[in-house]
Amino acid sequence: MRVRLALALVLAATPLTAQNGNPRLAGRVPPAALAAIDSIIATAVAESLPTEPLVQKALEGGAKGIPVARLVNGVRHGLVQLRDARAIVSRSAPARAALDGDVAAVAAALARGLDPGLIERLLSADSEPPGPVLHAAADLVAHRFPADSAAELLRAAQQQGLHGTRLLDVAVAASHELQREGGRTPTEALARVRAMLPNIPVATPPHPRTVTRRPGRGS
Amino acid sequence: MSPIDPRLQEALDGERDPGELAADLGEAYARLIAATQLLSATPRLSVAARVMAEIRQNPAQAQTGGPLRRSIRWLGRPITVRLRPAWTLALAAGLAAVLLLPFERGGPTPGVTQGVAKFVGHFPGARSVEVVGSFNDWSRGALALNDDDHDGIWHADAVLPAGQHEYMFVVDGERWVPDPLAGRFVDDGFGEGQQNSLLIVRPAAAQP
Repeated sequence: MRVRLALALVLAATPLTAQNGNPRLAGRVPPAALAAIDSIIATAVAESLPTEPLVQKALEGGAKGIPVARLVNGVRHGLVQLRDARAIVSRSAPARAALDGDVAAVAAALARGLDPGLIERLLSADSEPPGPVLHAAADLVAHRFPADSAAELLRAAQQQGLHGTRLLDVAVAASHELQREGGRTPTEALARVRAMLPNIPVATPPHPRTVTRRPGRGS
Repeated sequence: MSPIDPRLQEALDGERDPGELAADLGEAYARLIAATQLLSATPRLSVAARVMAEIRQNPAQAQTGGPLRRSIRWLGRPITVRLRPAWTLALAAGLAAVLLLPFERGGPTPGVTQGVAKFVGHFPGARSVEVVGSFNDWSRGALALNDDDHDGIWHADAVLPAGQHEYMFVVDGERWVPDPLAGRFVDDGFGEGQQNSLLIVRPAAAQP
């Protein structure tokens, strides 16, 4: 009798598992992690959060061979960041529904270490998709520019008509000014870029022939 | 070739009276004389003369009007084209090749919401380098870098959706390495402080 009951429970549970599991993860994530990750993704769906960043994090962990516990923690950490991001988006624009793209962009900015208060200020000042301005701010902060000064520079650039990925050029120009021969302080570099607005050169990616042969992490 | 009867030859040469010939030879003589007269006769009208005469008799069908009218008539005239099936198939295959085969344009061509990403890395002595990231679901073997001149600089161009992508290089199929030229990095979130490279692809429409 017990065996029959157990068998019936297994048979009943199998289709549910198959329906809930993300087909993109099958065979790409250790089987031991699959149930926990599916549960995290299901939570995100229930909370109307974007799930693609979580799927990507699971696929990344699977590809890198991350141990199961750390993999699941990584995906769970992604869920927490998405919740925080949605709260920031909601506070910065209470009148409109948080878009998945905006939430994912803010979560990415949080992952880059951008201060939540700064993110909220940048979102409140602009109605465009937040990805580029947040990355530009994160670039400036990563180059040790003061966060408030960085936000002011980006705001000035927007007022001068620079939008979208052109804001990334502002950050690149500031870092170039910082690295100029003779040396400039961050304040001087930001003032110089501000004086150049809106004529900021478009940053170009490195060409194979210009790659410096220097020992690095991968060399 | 059968030899001609000497008496018949003499009659043809005028050295013998044809009336003296036997009946069968007389008959052959008469046929030969008739054939000679036919060959020596001039045709009454040449082919060209007969064609021109025909045209003159049918002025409505003649090439009247200027070059433009003649061209219009020629365009409107039905023609019959005869093609062998083998040639028709070859022609169709040629057209399909022209229309379907990709042209060399010097690199990949992005759509409006896509951009071209350039991956470059210095990995001297590496046997293989590939890029694995969120743009290809972190799948191995999807985007390989090349080092055609074996100088240790590996590179590849790829059309990617515009926006943010995390990625890493995989060297020799086993070593995961961030792109030192990426300029942007983000913690991978798995608790060991490892970093992914961060790429922001600009849409082609926004590129200079």
